[in-house]
Amino acid sequence: MKQKITIGFLLVILIGVIVVMWQDFYKSKNKSQKNPYEYNIDKLKNIDPELIHYKEVLQLNPDINELISIDIDDNDNIYVTGAGKVITYRTNGTVSQSFEIDSTAYSIDVSNNGNIYLGMLNHIEVYDRTGNLKSRWKTLNENVITTSIATTENSVFVADAGNKIVYHYDLEGNLRNEIGKKDTLKGVPGFIIPSPHFDLLIGNLGRLWVVNPGIHAFENYDFDGNLISSWERTSMQLEGFSGCCNPSNIAILSNGSFVTSEKGLERVKVHSPSGDFKSVVAGPDIFEEGTKGIDLAVDSKDRIYVLDPVKKLVRIFEKK
Amino acid sequence: MAKKEKKKDLNRRAFIDRGFRFSIGLGLTGLGVGLYKRSRAKEYVWQLDPAKCIQCGRCATSCIMTPSAVKCFHVYDMCGYCDLCGGYFRPEAKNLTTAAENQLCPTAAIERKFIEEPFFEYHIIEELCIGCAKCVKGCGAFGNGSLQLQVNHRLCVDCNECSIARDCPADAFERVSIDSPYIFAGFSKEENKS
Repeated sequence: MKQKITIGFLLVILIGVIVVMWQDFYKSKNKSQKNPYEYNIDKLKNIDPELIHYKEVLQLNPDINELISIDIDDNDNIYVTGAGKVITYRTNGTVSQSFEIDSTAYSIDVSNNGNIYLGMLNHIEVYDRTGNLKSRWKTLNENVITTSIATTENSVFVADAGNKIVYHYDLEGNLRNEIGKKDTLKGVPGFIIPSPHFDLLIGNLGRLWVVNPGIHAFENYDFDGNLISSWERTSMQLEGFSGCCNPSNIAILSNGSFVTSEKGLERVKVHSPSGDFKSVVAGPDIFEEGTKGIDLAVDSKDRIYVLDPVKKLVRIFEKK
Repeated sequence: MAKKEKKKDLNRRAFIDRGFRFSIGLGLTGLGVGLYKRSRAKEYVWQLDPAKCIQCGRCATSCIMTPSAVKCFHVYDMCGYCDLCGGYFRPEAKNLTTAAENQLCPTAAIERKFIEEPFFEYHIIEELCIGCAKCVKGCGAFGNGSLQLQVNHRLCVDCNECSIARDCPADAFERVSIDSPYIFAGFSKEENKS
């Protein structure tokens, strides 16, 4: 009898030990345990609602597998492109036409003369507005990565992130000059482009504005490549740009203010012509984390068109 | 009747004989499999996939080594050599200097060196790195993601069951061939790491 009690007692202890070991091994594997080294960037993502001066009024859902670039013509028609297709929308958001292209277009510009210029990976294709290919410009350099294109009456400017240079072409595709090559005597710092985000546009005074994303700068050039002015804002806060390649995309409002989009902290903001932060269009909360290449456009009513490449949407914002 | 008895007797013997042989065979097979697995195990080591890593901090706290055998590696090919480096500076940094209060790393394990305007190089001091992944998160959030965690095989004792792998909430740990023991997200080759 005494032996049975001892055995029972030992069995109870054994079971207890097994339970403790099991709990230690499995239950302690708390996969949601607090991280003592947590780096919380949420406070940078939170934006004071008072600073958000725009509201989203419309979304377009283009049928393009890889949605990359957007532009708006003088009549406020919206052009979007990406993998294998160009789609045109009327101002009210209805599709007016679409046409197929051979490969992926990384940038689009619709000129006043009615041509659609597409920046393919390493060359330029020119289409008329009905989608007929008019010309294909030859590649001038190796390692060309075209990321942006802008046109005037007589010129076409192409940003090449691969060679860190802007090409100035005439309308027939003849190279006139290269802009932005480092020249310390002329005060040109050279473009610093750690990743393929390199945007440009023609400003309201008809001058070329190019983003220098490595130093978070906007640089204003004449067409001969002389640096006229520049500003830069480096900060992790709302007032500036951070990381290696921001702002990733830009557009311009009728008053000369710049609309900017960023990667890393996905946000769309407005900066004054001299670079001061003015307001927020859209905060990180509306984008998927990791969204890159948020292309922008502005129409004649200063509505801001935000291309969301991850959600495959064109999101249209108006001032509140 | 005697013949039948003899047959039954033979069957019993044969059964014992076969059972004995089978047991030896099974034992030898098990030994062989065990030895084979053990020899194969030496050809594989633990590594974490940076593409799956969520910077949870377990690499710093769960490793049996102190400090952890997981370290930050810098893939220089991907680095933007930024002045305002998201992996080096705290978001609240008032100015871009190497002052301790500006640094994100809790052990000051990243060395910042001026190269030429506007480029800065960032070097991981292995002895100080604890594998906490704060810099990895900062670099991924603001930069190109050139700072990545890896098990340093000069320090790892290659436990049979890696305690970090057991705790990793992202299941980012896996056994990889000893011939290519590092996994880097991006486009660089191994010789470009430090």
